[in-house]
Amino acid sequence: MDIVGESIKFMVLGMLVVFTFLYVLVVLMGVQAKIINKFFPEKKQPAAPVSGVTPDISEDESRRIAAIIAAISEFRKN
Amino acid sequence: MKIKHLFFSILIAFAASVSSLQASGGTPAEQPQKDAYVEKSMNELASSFYNTTGLKAFISPKEGVKNGQGEEMTPFAQSWGRLIMFMIIFLLFYLAIAKGFEPLLLLPIAFGGLLANIPIANMTGDHGMLGIIYNMGIANEFFPLLIFMGVGAMTDFGPLLANPKTALLGGAAQFGIFGSLVGAAALSQYTGFVDFSLEQCSAISIIGGADGPTSIFIASKLAPELMGAIAVAAYSYMALVPVIQPPIMKALTTVEERRIVMNTTRKVQKLEKLIFPLLVLVMTLLVLPDAAPLIGAFTFGNFAKESGVVDRLSNEMQNSLINIVTIFLGLGVGSKLASDKFLVMETLGIMIIGLLAFAAGTAAGVLMAKLMNKFSKEPINPLIGAAGVSAVPMAARVVSKVGAEARPGNILLMHAMGPNVAGVIGSAVAAGVMLAIFK
Repeated sequence: MDIVGESIKFMVLGMLVVFTFLYVLVVLMGVQAKIINKFFPEKKQPAAPVSGVTPDISEDESRRIAAIIAAISEFRKN
Repeated sequence: MKIKHLFFSILIAFAASVSSLQASGGTPAEQPQKDAYVEKSMNELASSFYNTTGLKAFISPKEGVKNGQGEEMTPFAQSWGRLIMFMIIFLLFYLAIAKGFEPLLLLPIAFGGLLANIPIANMTGDHGMLGIIYNMGIANEFFPLLIFMGVGAMTDFGPLLANPKTALLGGAAQFGIFGSLVGAAALSQYTGFVDFSLEQCSAISIIGGADGPTSIFIASKLAPELMGAIAVAAYSYMALVPVIQPPIMKALTTVEERRIVMNTTRKVQKLEKLIFPLLVLVMTLLVLPDAAPLIGAFTFGNFAKESGVVDRLSNEMQNSLINIVTIFLGLGVGSKLASDKFLVMETLGIMIIGLLAFAAGTAAGVLMAKLMNKFSKEPINPLIGAAGVSAVPMAARVVSKVGAEARPGNILLMHAMGPNVAGVIGSAVAAGVMLAIFK
């Protein structure tokens, strides 16, 4: 059997199938991106609150926090 | 009274059946009679012990000694063959440990090879440790699929979705498979060096897909007798990607081309990533159901990851499961490194064709990228074509490294991941074509 000739046929078929598969995939990916961006646009995420101390802490509360921090650092020293 | 009667009759019937079973099962001809132990002098005891040592098996090999599968081994395979295999295995250890080439796979494979070459123990036999592992998941193609599931759960298709046309590079690199198929056929038809059938040629050429699980999957379907050499070639060349690819990439591109900076990619939505695995699966079931086991496992892993609701499952696939299967896969493949199976001309042929396949895949990817760069509005650095052979993520890292050599600070990693993951799909499709042809 002429296996070289046969394998060349395999090569033609194989490369055609692989390329067609991936090409269709490329097209579908493009279509999918268009559809999704049109109909389901990503919601603008509300600006995440800045981490750290939130502004509306009352005077009293911040004093208590300061006291706690001071106590902890005092505790760590020992 | 009646109940008591019934009870007795059942008891008697049971006893009769047991005794008849014993009578039929106890024929001495079925069970090999073990010789009764006879008294031995200290000398005889020592010499009979020496006969069971590995030292004796190495020094004075005998005709007619059988391997784990019950086939006779030549005296060469029993003595020098094993020593040569030990040297090859230590080379693999060196590559894995000192050079850091794919240690996760080379180390278990090499250790499996070490165990497989222990004389007398017959660990590769059906009841040996390695034989059990092999039959459990490699002979029936189960482990490669589990690995594919884990790889799917680790893969991020974002870079590919951001720049879809790079998928074509992953297609071009599959020329490594089909080009080396013709090469393998020519080698066995025009030279008397090896004699491969068409099925064997196909199984060997899948090495060009640079995808270990796919290679093992196809080998166990089309040419199980060559599995050991194919798996070892595939994994060692994957480990050697940082050595094999750069010279080819540099030879085919100019410095200016390597210095090309690519545009930053767009941000991909979560929904796109979620739908993509289903898209691939639907295309597979329409065009190529033969690739469904591979692509099905792969897309399942990816879908689980992108769904975002089964993190426990996807983490399991990415970590514990793939690690366990890697251990078994490595040891099971290593069992095929037994000297009598590995030290044959075919292995040399497979190694040569495998190298050719890797080189051809890399070259085809780079050339395709050059072509696309000519016709594309956006600049495409030809180096990323080399990532089209799968070998995720090693090939993409190599691309990034070579790119950074030409222009420090030019990071191509994300751009190379596109063709890289497309290469996984491409080689699974190529494997499906092979399976469809030989159906």
